Amino acid sequence: MSYAEDLRRVRTREGRSVGSMVLIALGGLFWGYLLLRWLINWEWVPFGTPGEPLVSPETLGLTGGTATAFQSLPQLAEGAYITVLITVLSILLGLVLAVPLSVARVYGRWTKYLSLSFTELIRGTPLIAQLYLLYYGLNLSQFFRGLTQFGPFTVRTPVWAVDLGPLKVQTALWVALIGFTINSAAYQAEYIRSAIESVDPQQLVAARSVGLTQREGILHVVLPQTLRFAIPGWTNELVYLIKYSSLATFITVAELFRRADAVASDTFDYTAMFTVVALVYIGIVITATRLMGYVEDRVALPGLGQTRGRS
Amino acid sequence: MAVELTPVAAPLQGGLVDAASRFFLDNPDWGYVWSNRDAILDATVVTVQLTFVSIVLGFLIGLPAGVAEVYAPAWLRVPVETVGVVVRAVPILVILIYMFYVFSVSSSPFIAATFALGLRSGAYQSQIFRGAIQSVGEGQMEAARSVGMSKLEAIVYVIVPQSLRRSIPGFQNEFTIVLKDTSIAIILGVTELLGTAEDLFLQQNRTGTALELILAISLVYFVLTVTTNRGLEFAGDYFGVPTGENA
Amino acid sequence: MSDPLLRVEDLHKSYGDETVLRGIDFELERGDVEILSGPSGSGKSTLLRCVNRLTEPDSGTIYLDGERVSGAGTDVNELRRQVGMVFQDFNLFLHLTAAENITLGLRRVKGLGKAEARERAMEHLDRVGLADQAGSYPAELSGGQKQRVGIARALAMDPKLMLFDEPTSALDPELVGEVTSVMRELADEGMTMLVVTHEMGFAREAASRMMFLDQGQIVERGPPEQLFQHPEQARTAEFLQRITQLHGGEST
Repeated sequence: MSYAEDLRRVRTREGRSVGSMVLIALGGLFWGYLLLRWLINWEWVPFGTPGEPLVSPETLGLTGGTATAFQSLPQLAEGAYITVLITVLSILLGLVLAVPLSVARVYGRWTKYLSLSFTELIRGTPLIAQLYLLYYGLNLSQFFRGLTQFGPFTVRTPVWAVDLGPLKVQTALWVALIGFTINSAAYQAEYIRSAIESVDPQQLVAARSVGLTQREGILHVVLPQTLRFAIPGWTNELVYLIKYSSLATFITVAELFRRADAVASDTFDYTAMFTVVALVYIGIVITATRLMGYVEDRVALPGLGQTRGRS
Repeated sequence: MAVELTPVAAPLQGGLVDAASRFFLDNPDWGYVWSNRDAILDATVVTVQLTFVSIVLGFLIGLPAGVAEVYAPAWLRVPVETVGVVVRAVPILVILIYMFYVFSVSSSPFIAATFALGLRSGAYQSQIFRGAIQSVGEGQMEAARSVGMSKLEAIVYVIVPQSLRRSIPGFQNEFTIVLKDTSIAIILGVTELLGTAEDLFLQQNRTGTALELILAISLVYFVLTVTTNRGLEFAGDYFGVPTGENA
Repeated sequence: MSDPLLRVEDLHKSYGDETVLRGIDFELERGDVEILSGPSGSGKSTLLRCVNRLTEPDSGTIYLDGERVSGAGTDVNELRRQVGMVFQDFNLFLHLTAAENITLGLRRVKGLGKAEARERAMEHLDRVGLADQAGSYPAELSGGQKQRVGIARALAMDPKLMLFDEPTSALDPELVGEVTSVMRELADEGMTMLVVTHEMGFAREAASRMMFLDQGQIVERGPPEQLFQHPEQARTAEFLQRITQLHGGEST
C-alpha cells in the first residue's frame, strides 16, 4: 500500500460523518454518566448519595422492571467499574508476560517448548475452568486475605484505598486478575508470535549486519514492527476480555453481570436488568474498538500491513 | 493506616500452601475422581453434544448471514449486520440468561444453552464466511454468470463451495471456542463437564478434591480441543483442492 | 433471413462522471470474426461486457438473432446462455477440475444428465487438445492450458456468439500461440467472434473485420488489411503502428 493511500485512509477515518458524530455524543453521555456515578460512589464529589440514583424512579413515573433497572443503575455502574478494571489490568499485565513468551516461542531454544506448552494448555482449556482451578482448587483467595490491609493503594494513599475500594474489599478480585492475566498472556503471546513470524526474517539479518546483537535486533527492529502487526489481534483480545470478564461472577467477583444477576434473581426483572447490562457491554465494546481503530491509524506506517487475530 | 503483615502469613498456610502440599506431598485424592468416572464420562458426552448441536445451529445461521452480508440488498443486509454486531458485543453469559429467562426459548437448560451458543457462534461464523466469500474474487462470479447461471446458482455452486474450503482455518478456531464455552452453560445448570465437577465437589461436600476434579475435567477439555483441531486440519487437507490465486 | 446475428444500437455507458461509451452502433453477420482494438480506456472491454450484459449499459439496445435481449422484459441469463465469454484472467472455477468446469454449466444451466454432460465436456476438452488434463485442477495447469479450458467451457454451452476479452494478455509470450491457434480453428469453423486483443498477427490472419475505438466511439471500422495499410484516421494509424511494434505483426 502506498503512502498516499495510507494517508487517504487516515483522512477518511477522521472525516466524521453524522453517524459517527451521534456515536461520539452517545459515547460521551455513556462514559460521562459512569464517571459521575463512580465519583459519587467514592464520595469524591459533594453531591449525590452512594448507591442511590440521582432521581428516584417514581419521580420519572417509572414502574415495574424499568423502575428496578433504574434504581439499580448505581450498582451497575459500580459493576462496570470492576469490569473495566479487570479488562484494563489483565490486558496490560498479560502483555507484559506475552512479549517474553512470544519471543521465547520464536527465538528460544529450550524455552520455546516451555512457552509452547504454556500457551497450548491455557488455550486448550476453558477460561472458567482456569478460574475454578485458582479459586476452588488452589483456594488462592486465602492468600490475599491479608491484602485487605496491605493493598498497594493502601500503602501509598490511604484515601485511595477506601475510594478505589474493589482491590481492597474483594480478595476474589485478585484471583480473577491473576486468572485473566494468565489467560490473556497466552492468547496475546499467540498474536504476537504470528506477528513476529510475519516480519521479514531479513530484517533481523539486516540488524545483525549493522552490528546489533540478536537481542538488540529483536528489541529495536523486530518488535516495533511486530507490535503494529499485532494491533488488530490485540483489539480482538480487548473485546474478548471485556466480555469474558463477566466470568469473574463465578468466583463471586461483583462485576457488572453479578450485580445485575443479584437484582434479577430477587425481583425476576430479567428483561429490564439484562437489557441494560447488554447495552453497557455494547457501549464498552464499541468504545474499545473505536479507540483501537484510532490507535491503529495513528501508529500505521506506510508499507506495514496487519494480520488478523481471533474475533 | 496500620500495615499488618501477620494476616498475610496465616492464610498462606491455610490456603495455597495447604492445598499444594496436600496435593504434591500427601495424597491427592484421585480415588474420588476415579470412582466418579461414569459421571465424568456422561458429562463429556453432554459437552460434546452441546458443542456439536451449537456448531451446526451456528452454521445454519452463519452461512446464510455471511452470504447476505456480501450479496443481499440493503433492507436485508443492514439488519443482519446489526444483529451480528450486537450479538458479538455481548458476553455469552448474558446471551445464555436472555435465552432462558427473557426469550424463554425452552424450559430445558440444555436446549436454551444450545440456542445461545448457536446464535453466538452463528454471529461469528457469518464473519468467517463473509471473509471467505470476499476472498473468492469477483471473476468467479462473472464466469458463472457468463455461462448463464443466475446469481443464486452462482452463489450455491461456485462461490459457497470455494468459500467453505477457505473458511476451514477460521472454522477450526470457532469450533474450539464453542467447545470451551459450553462450560459457561453451568449458569443455567446444564450438567456438562464443569457443572458435574462442581456438583461433585460442592454438593457432595468434598471441597478438598476440587483441585483433582478440575484438573481431571481440564484434561478432558484439552484432549477434546486438541483432537478437534487435528481432525479439522485433516479435513482441510482432505477436502482441499490446489488453489492458485490466478486461475 | 436478413437479420444480422448481433445488432448493437446507440449504446451508452458511464461510471459516475466518466463516460466510457458514447453511442456505439454496429452489426455482426454470422461467421464474422471482429477485432475490437483501441488504446486502454477507449471502452473496448466495456463494450464487450455490455454485449452479454456483465456490464449493464445505461441506454441503447442489443439484438441477438433478431431478438431484443436488453432492456425491460428480457432475461439476462437467457442472453448469456447464447453468448460465450472468455476472460483475460481465465476465471476457471478453482474448486473444480477441468472437466467439471465444463459440466457445471451443462448440468445446472442446460439441465443435462451427468453422463451426457461428461461426454460433452470430454469432446470439448479434446477439441482444445486437453483431453488428458480432464482431472486436473486449475492450479495444476499452465496459463495457456487454463485459457483453453476457458474456451472449451464457453464453447460447450453451444453459443451463437463468442466474446473474448484480451484472452492472451495474461499469458507468457511462449504460451500465446496455443491459445490463438485454437481461436483460429474456431474462426475457420465459422464461429461468430468478437475479440478484444492486441495480437495483431491474429487480427491480420483470422479477422474478417476490425473496429478501432477511441474515447468511447468507433473511430474507424473495416477489413484488417485496410486499417493496417490505408487507415482513414490519423489516430488509427498511430495506434496500430505502435501496437504492431509492441505485439509483433506475426503470431506464432
